[in-house]
Amino acid sequence: MKRVTVDPITRLEGHGKIEIFVNDAGEVANVYFQVPELRGFERFCVGRPVEELARITPRICGVCPEAHHMAATKAIDAVFGVEVAPTGRLLRELLYNAFYVTDHTTHFYILAGPDFIMGPESDPAKRNILGVIGKVGLETAGAMIKLRAEAAELISMIGGKQIHPVCGLPGGVSQAITAEQRDRMVQITTGMVEFAKFSLQLFDDVVLANNDYVELIKSDAFTHETYYMGMVDENNKVNFYDGKVRVTGPDGTELEKFEGSDYLAHIAEHVEPYSYLVYPYLKSVGWKGFVDGKDSGVYRASPLSRLNAADGMATPLAQQEYERYFSTLGGKPVHATLATHWARLVELLYAAERAHELATDPEIINPDVRNIPTGIVGEGVGVVEAPRGTLYHHYKTDDKGIVTNVNLIVGTTNNNAAISMSLKKAAEGLIKGGTEIGEGTLNMIEMAFRAYDPCFGCATHTLPGDMPLEVTVKSEATREVITSVKRNM
Amino acid sequence: MTLGSTLVLGMGNPILSDDGVGLLVAERLRGTTLPDGVEVLQSEVAGLRLLELVRGFTRVIIIDALKSPAEVEREPGEIVRYEAKDFKGGHRYGSAHSIGLDTALELGHTLGYDMPGVVTVFAIEAVDVETFGEELSPPVAAAAERVLGMIAAELAAGADAA
Repeated sequence: MKRVTVDPITRLEGHGKIEIFVNDAGEVANVYFQVPELRGFERFCVGRPVEELARITPRICGVCPEAHHMAATKAIDAVFGVEVAPTGRLLRELLYNAFYVTDHTTHFYILAGPDFIMGPESDPAKRNILGVIGKVGLETAGAMIKLRAEAAELISMIGGKQIHPVCGLPGGVSQAITAEQRDRMVQITTGMVEFAKFSLQLFDDVVLANNDYVELIKSDAFTHETYYMGMVDENNKVNFYDGKVRVTGPDGTELEKFEGSDYLAHIAEHVEPYSYLVYPYLKSVGWKGFVDGKDSGVYRASPLSRLNAADGMATPLAQQEYERYFSTLGGKPVHATLATHWARLVELLYAAERAHELATDPEIINPDVRNIPTGIVGEGVGVVEAPRGTLYHHYKTDDKGIVTNVNLIVGTTNNNAAISMSLKKAAEGLIKGGTEIGEGTLNMIEMAFRAYDPCFGCATHTLPGDMPLEVTVKSEATREVITSVKRNM
Repeated sequence: MTLGSTLVLGMGNPILSDDGVGLLVAERLRGTTLPDGVEVLQSEVAGLRLLELVRGFTRVIIIDALKSPAEVEREPGEIVRYEAKDFKGGHRYGSAHSIGLDTALELGHTLGYDMPGVVTVFAIEAVDVETFGEELSPPVAAAAERVLGMIAAELAAGADAA
């Protein structure tokens, strides 16, 4: 099959393109997706003081700047070989969990919500946040906006700025918080826990109470048996900020657990001639193509994966939800891609509870927030769980801390192979010979894509619209467009 | 912010070549004498965060880079003036984890926020917004100079209208 070309970028925030090729019988032959590639990042970084990367890398992406800030800061700790001051670590983790609350909330209400609350085949003009508000009411929307504003307030108290935090320094953070700020954070995080509980209840009422949705989630078209990656603490509980990377298999057993700094021994990258995307896979299993099963090294890194790869959640309410999630969906592991939305809400509750725990930790107002580095190692890896998957930052420097080499694996990239597979399987399940391919069908295929919440490491803003996503059905033989849907123009 | 105030908002990404033009224009504007009631901000984000930024202003002028599809055939550095109504045409959502300008504005109205009545966008056709870098291409750098005059005229006209 010839190389799939990407149109000139329509506008930033990522340009998504899904191409479905059908054969003469009208059956799916192949499915590709493409996203834009940004160029020259390593060249941009080389020659700069490594500390600057904590402020540069967040600008790769307007969606999760906090994740890049944290991964970068941890990599820089390692480059200087400095232990992080305990309170510095608490503040970083608090900021990071508050960010998760915002990110997961936004995804549920703005991206996932419309599919479920409005219905996957509803009029696209109503399948959006405004339609959601029409259904769930202004009060909920107002609460969501308020939560975002309060989370931003908390993040700026620690991070120094709302959008692109600047607090992370080797050995800790730049400033301590006051008792008054702490009191406000306790108040804000209390609200976060309530909102997370409410959101799970809403998911119950809207999604789980609707048998059609539950069947859709569990359906074979949206299922893949893959490996799962996620960071865990010393008790194998989900942790977003720190821990070891654990990989479990399609049967739920642990394949491996490694330090983030050893990632190159565990992850390799496959390339395809038709695409500039890279497809990471597990080295110990090997690349067997775009297939699932225990012999294929394809893995996923997402909320679904983190819950599968861990033994539980470290906070009480989230643990209850974790248990309910698995018991409802038939036990561990859950392979249903669309269950990612539910998993995301379980994580939302954990993030809120964890933020509250940290805000109420007596040590959080300790003024000693940073250890000053005294030497340099010259190489470091920083790993966090970004909302869209495990995020690796790897830097090398000279003996003065000037960057010589940078390697990143960003959250979405982990899932490139799985996204391709999910799109193909959904398309195969929904497009049969002779069936009419309508907007609703293409949206269902997009739902497989959206579950991963792909983020394209692109720029930060949107003009004239948001991410244009184009789904095109083409004839395999003639390459003529049979039908297409574009979500932008 | 005060009643009757105008926000001039430069948007973009400072490390993606021409995508930094809106931020640069905002910075230049800050160095000039502006009419009373005009505030200048830079933003690297859009969507819901944009909604939170523009609340309370009566008028908003946005400066941003634009990369048109090839079939539109715009010249690099061409400045296109849009109004909010030009962004109508479907409340779409892709996977931007965000919402478009029109949806953000409508969401604000729906929620009963005090939203700007006038939204103007000056979009500058970019050459490259996909390569990491802090330099603007020559046509976009020249456009940044020209758009400053257009914004000044827009602000003066707004003052007359008031």
